[in-house]
Amino acid sequence: MSAVLALLGSSRPPEGFEKPTAEIFDTACLIGSGDFCFNRIALYMFVAAAIVVALFVLAFARPRLVPRGIQNLMESGVEFVRNQIAVEVIGHDGIRFVPLLLSLFFFIFAANILGIVPFFQLPATSRMAIPAFLAVVVWLVFNAVGIQHHGLRYFKNVLFPPGVPKALYILLTPIELVSVFLVRPLTLSVRLLGNMFAGHMLLTIFFLGTAYLLAQWKTVAFGVAAFGLGVGLVGFEILVAVLQAYIFTILTAVYIGGALHPEH
Amino acid sequence: MSTFQGYVVRGLPLAQAEEETGTTEPGAEEHNPILPETDELLWGSIAFFIVFAAIAFWAWPRIRKLLAERTEKIQGELEKAESTRHEADRILEEYREQIARARDEAGRIIEEARRTAEQLRKDLQARAEQEAQSTVARAQEEIRAERDRVVQELRAQVGALSIQLAERVVGASLDQKRHQELIDEYIEELAGSGSGGGS
Repeated sequence: MSAVLALLGSSRPPEGFEKPTAEIFDTACLIGSGDFCFNRIALYMFVAAAIVVALFVLAFARPRLVPRGIQNLMESGVEFVRNQIAVEVIGHDGIRFVPLLLSLFFFIFAANILGIVPFFQLPATSRMAIPAFLAVVVWLVFNAVGIQHHGLRYFKNVLFPPGVPKALYILLTPIELVSVFLVRPLTLSVRLLGNMFAGHMLLTIFFLGTAYLLAQWKTVAFGVAAFGLGVGLVGFEILVAVLQAYIFTILTAVYIGGALHPEH
Repeated sequence: MSTFQGYVVRGLPLAQAEEETGTTEPGAEEHNPILPETDELLWGSIAFFIVFAAIAFWAWPRIRKLLAERTEKIQGELEKAESTRHEADRILEEYREQIARARDEAGRIIEEARRTAEQLRKDLQARAEQEAQSTVARAQEEIRAERDRVVQELRAQVGALSIQLAERVVGASLDQKRHQELIDEYIEELAGSGSGGGS
């Protein structure tokens, strides 16, 4: 028992264990080199895109009025995004953002889930590129929607929210300025990146650890335990993959809704 | 934000590891995982635009059309079901009415039959009674007539006999008219004393 505690308590990996570092996310170029590089992550981005497109094509190329199989599955996904995210959060005028929300949800989910798909096992969202790009897209969209609907009053609505005592603007306006225009894209992207990064790191540590612990007789039991936990973590990562796609999408809807209806 | 903190906490051993590798492996180019690579940004944006284009310009219009069609169909079916139900209700009501009418009719017929039978029975009874009465009356009439005839006959015979008798007894013959008067007188007397003046 004390051995277990000692092992768990030590922040230092045991002797001879090659600990994974952030370098596991730096993949070699498959095509090109240097500044123009098509690496594994890039490949997986297109794999994720291909998966989403393929799912939609399979489901809706010849749609039936009474859905079956994959159409059923995709329709529940689409209806979830449409009803539970677009209509629920933005309102009925949120329907026109459904294509964007659908793209975000399914693309992020596919990119996330590659982290636990055998032979891929690296989420495309564990690198900053996709989260950052999508956050910028969302930032542009919700600001554009705000300006389109309220003109310059949009900025007034954001910086000087109506229904607040004037004196509070001294406090509120700088906070709103930073939170809406700077923190929103940052949290949106870093939340997604952080979850996928950490999840992949955890899985790597657990399965490398399993291999290391199983190699020696005296630590075989720990190896088995580590493997069991690792398997559990794979299930957890599936949950995280769905959840992060959902959070990213629903926050996008919240931001668009806020730009459309500042009174809420 | 909590997720962000979670990331920081979970990433802690990693940070230590980085520090260590940073010290042990000089020259390795440090890449901050929070900064995107330009080329990956390019690929990521292309991949996302493929997805967005496929959904926005191909899938979503189809899905909208499909959902609209389905809504229309379901609405149509519901309306049809509703009208069918109304029709069924109407027919049921009609049948109920018909059954009620038939039942009334049956009751009426039975009642009428009963009344007819009763009437018939009464008629028959009355007629039978009447017949019996008339039979009795006729019989009485006949009896009376017979009796009268017999009395008449008897009276005649008795008269004749009496006259013969009287003639023989008296030896004197009286004229026919006187005879009859005597006979009648005699018979009246007989009848008055014989039956106590009954008939």
